[in-house]
Amino acid sequence: MAARQESKNQGLWAITVPVKTHMAAGVVLAAVSGVLLIAGNVMLAQVVTIVAGGELAIFGLAFGFREAFWLLTGLIVLTYAIRGYSFIISHLGAFRLEEILRTDLTERLADMPLGYVISTGTGALKKVLLDDVKNLHAFVADSTPMIGKSVATPIASLVAMLLIDWRLALVAVGVLVLGMILMYAAMKDDATYRKQYEQSQSDINKAVIEFVQAMPVVRTFDDGTTSFKRYNLALERYRHHTKAWIELTALPGKIALIILSPLPTLLAVTAAGILFVTGGSLSLFGLMASLMVSTGMADTLMPLMWFNQALKKSNAAAERIQEIQGLPTLDKTEEPQIPERFDVTLEDVTFRYGEEDIYALKNVSFHVPENTTTALVGPSGAGKSTVARLIPRFWDVTEGSIRIGGVDVRDMTTETLMDTVSFVFQDTFLFNDTLAGNIRIAAPDASDEAVKAAAKAAQIHDFIMSLPHGYDTLAGDRGTNLSGGQKQRITIARAILRDAPVIVLDEATAFADPENEDEIVKALSNLLKQKTVIVIAHRLSTIKDVGQIVAFDHGEVTEKGRHDKLLALDGTYAALWKNYTLAQNWDVQHSGGAR
Amino acid sequence: MISLYQRMMRVAGSTAPLLRASMFITIASAIVQGIMFAMLYPLFHELIYPDENSIRRLVILGGILVGLVLIDAALRFIINRSDWESYIVAGHELRIKLGEQLRRIPLEDLNDRRVGELNVALSGHVDYVVMVLSGLYNIVLYTIIAPVTTLLITLFVDWRLALALGLIFPFVIPLYRRIRVLSAYGFRASGEAHETVTSNLIEYAQGLGVLRATRQVGPQSVRLQDSLENLRQKQSTAQNWKTIPGLMIATVVQVGILIVTLLGLLWVVGGSLDVAIMLALFAIMVRYSETLAMFANMTTMFDIMETALERIDELLDIEPLPINQPHGNIERFDITFDEVDFEYAADDDSSLDGQVLHDVSFNLPERSLTALVGSSGSGKTTITKLITRYADPQKGAIKIGGVDIRSLEQKELMRHVSVVFQDVYLFDDSIRDNIRMAKLDATDAEVEAAATAANCHEFITRLPDGYDTTVGEIGGSLSGGERQRISIARAILKGAPIVLLDEPTSALDTESEVAVQRAIDKLVEDKTVVVIAHRLSTVVAADTILVLDDGRLVERGTHDALMAENGRYAAMWNAQQQARRWKV
Repeated sequence: MAARQESKNQGLWAITVPVKTHMAAGVVLAAVSGVLLIAGNVMLAQVVTIVAGGELAIFGLAFGFREAFWLLTGLIVLTYAIRGYSFIISHLGAFRLEEILRTDLTERLADMPLGYVISTGTGALKKVLLDDVKNLHAFVADSTPMIGKSVATPIASLVAMLLIDWRLALVAVGVLVLGMILMYAAMKDDATYRKQYEQSQSDINKAVIEFVQAMPVVRTFDDGTTSFKRYNLALERYRHHTKAWIELTALPGKIALIILSPLPTLLAVTAAGILFVTGGSLSLFGLMASLMVSTGMADTLMPLMWFNQALKKSNAAAERIQEIQGLPTLDKTEEPQIPERFDVTLEDVTFRYGEEDIYALKNVSFHVPENTTTALVGPSGAGKSTVARLIPRFWDVTEGSIRIGGVDVRDMTTETLMDTVSFVFQDTFLFNDTLAGNIRIAAPDASDEAVKAAAKAAQIHDFIMSLPHGYDTLAGDRGTNLSGGQKQRITIARAILRDAPVIVLDEATAFADPENEDEIVKALSNLLKQKTVIVIAHRLSTIKDVGQIVAFDHGEVTEKGRHDKLLALDGTYAALWKNYTLAQNWDVQHSGGAR
Repeated sequence: MISLYQRMMRVAGSTAPLLRASMFITIASAIVQGIMFAMLYPLFHELIYPDENSIRRLVILGGILVGLVLIDAALRFIINRSDWESYIVAGHELRIKLGEQLRRIPLEDLNDRRVGELNVALSGHVDYVVMVLSGLYNIVLYTIIAPVTTLLITLFVDWRLALALGLIFPFVIPLYRRIRVLSAYGFRASGEAHETVTSNLIEYAQGLGVLRATRQVGPQSVRLQDSLENLRQKQSTAQNWKTIPGLMIATVVQVGILIVTLLGLLWVVGGSLDVAIMLALFAIMVRYSETLAMFANMTTMFDIMETALERIDELLDIEPLPINQPHGNIERFDITFDEVDFEYAADDDSSLDGQVLHDVSFNLPERSLTALVGSSGSGKTTITKLITRYADPQKGAIKIGGVDIRSLEQKELMRHVSVVFQDVYLFDDSIRDNIRMAKLDATDAEVEAAATAANCHEFITRLPDGYDTTVGEIGGSLSGGERQRISIARAILKGAPIVLLDEPTSALDTESEVAVQRAIDKLVEDKTVVVIAHRLSTVVAADTILVLDDGRLVERGTHDALMAENGRYAAMWNAQQQARRWKV
């Protein structure tokens, strides 16, 4: 079985390890800049007060006006330069982290069971690779300088104020404490309300998606009244819950907003300061400097509250990324082997998806001799598609084994297995490249002649030549939008060029585009020549003559053999056949009057 | 600035008066703050030149200050409340408005926009737009108005100082312009890089099967890795362009204030300026300097709002298809195409280039069965779309019962047409309600009768809660055929006299196919039916088969007649029979 990645270190801190130097530098530099700003303010206060009879002496050094000016200018430039550098360094770290995570995730996707990728869906993967990775940005880039500043500024302010006049420092701290006590007293238990609010918020997201997705369909049988009502209801609920929650928490919020704004602190410090100055126990410089510095404490508390929000969002993103990073990857074999024959054997294959209770396959065994064809049939959900997907290791079997030419597929390197098995039509995906490039992707060293030969065999050469740029036409270009059948034939050309000896084919997808069935039939015939073929069959008429039919029901093989033999058994296959012939003979009938 | 204000008012919708009031109060509060700082002038005067009445005057000044603080607190109290009010209400109204617009815009426009894009508009963009209403604008107002108020008062205290302070701005404004240009440029460059990464990542995830088979994964996926590296570089450059000018502004503001301070000191030494005024001004400046310095960074929020608003406006500006006077009503249900030419709007990705229908004319009698056949892109689906007025033809007319559908209300038109698609959309609601949405006043018995006719009564009653089972609960366990039958039950309940079938069985396995086929037989009884068929054998019994090729009607007739004609239809028929005989 696949090895489960042990991931004990979860969360934001773990995921940001690769850029922790950047982040630490960002925090420290921002802190230094915060301290310098306070120091600058204190010095400025000193410069100003000399005029009013104070002395200009810093660390016992006397300064003149001119020197003081240059010193302060230098200090300001330095403060902002350092702050800027802290911003830049934390952003560079964030960008670096984006690149590292995306590279890592794409590599990981390549080692994961392909089945996971398919069942998760491109949309969900895209969300993690793009949006979640991006959501870390707020934490790494924007929060780090803020943390540094928000921690350093109040501390430096407090220290400066204590040095200047401890009584004023107490006054400033007192205002803050009073504010927090009031806030705490006004705070009510909002857990239920918050939960309702969050729930209704995720509900409107769902409602929006439903409303938008259903619109084209809904519009054809009414003007959207019903779905609009549902959308409207979700919006109303959201409005209601938001209001309820805000009303409950508004009071502490307002108190915080008012007390933690600089004005009350300034007022208290000024009042106390004037008292002390008139009383003679405080110098004018002391008052000036305290006024400059005192608000530093209150000012930086607000950003910290916002920071909490950013942290929550980034943490959720980090967890989703780590979830993917922690997924099991396919085991890599220690001693890779290369098959020399190409018969396929399934022996007692039992399979379930992940930890599910229900087995998708139970004790499935059958043998496909080299260069013969075996058809898998059964009602939908019987397990035939699962079997087909286990052969190219979209998933690994839970028990039992699948062998090609006697070699267990788990003992082959991915490269060997991919060279051995083609799973046609799973990937009718065209890259944003030329048509030649899209075929050549199967064998990068193939010559132009080989590419053309494959295209001819796949019945697509004539079509390609009819395009103005021929093989150099870009697959994504407007006007050369290929139809489903044309795309499929490009895929078949790819498979022909790849020339893998074992081919797994899903007939349902093969004829998804009935308009050029006969061409696809010809292309397939060329592809399947001299190959070991396993086909998931839906049109039973096409498999009447195959060497072996394996019938499935509820994850088990019920019958094996040729068409006539299975019909005679009057079991799963016979029932399928009856249904099939019934469906084939249907045409739209109606007892209309205008006949 | 004025256009920004107007935009905000428009966004605020019915709360615009509230927002306007809130803005006034914010301005009042900012002015109060400005006055409070100006109070430092008399305060410092009393401190530096104390006399016997100083204490009395200080107490009065203190009283005024406390009064101002209380006024300010009260004002903020009111603002906070009304801001949340407009935030909630404006968001709500905007979403309703967008929702209503989605119901009105031509289906063609709806189809042009991908689901993701519309989602972003209705959830994300709305949030960005109303975010500004919830307190962001008042930070900006405070940052500007409070200092300006103090500056104006300073003008009366000492005009030279006020002027010197005012002179900082001419230095800042060009820098500010520059930063906007630079950050926009950087934003665009990194935006482009981001788009490339996005499409490369999607391509990688979608094509992983092929890439793996051809060993172009992980570090070998050169194109993807290059674009990731490129994105990082572009982002870093953009960041530098944004940060450095922003900090230059901050530095210029701070150094400017320093220069004014020193200038003031020189005047004090020269005897032309009162020390008390100088000290007070200095205390004020330090207080304002930081917020002013970081002002440039704050305005990016408005850029986000504007971009989001543009997207929303784009959606709101789409005109619904006009309805001609006089409004008609349908009484007969034959369908006529009269010399119809049609091409899709230029930016419609799903279409092929150029015209899709050329001069198509036909009449489908009431209660007849018509099949549309032809290769993909030949115009079959377009014909059914035009019947539901997906878009209007450029030339010609489409009539139902002799009435041009352009003179029908959308509701009236849709009342008479049922469409069964390949993909079925079921709401996360009970099965009963999912069927009933076709006819809201239907009784339970009617719903069940429709379900029985559509061959789904049996499997519905086997579900845990029968008709009251919610689709979400059992989501994945409904098979494609079962979902399709529920959608047919809807159509049967609706009982519209015109039925359009777009290849409803092609995506199903044989077992479900039979059940769905039976349901369709019930649905089409006594109706005017248009069916798109890929598998020709399913439409042999049609009253008329219309054969389309490249947007032109090339043949019409019954199966037998067309076979006898030995033209395009016969060729298609033979090719399909050939393919059918294929053996693996």
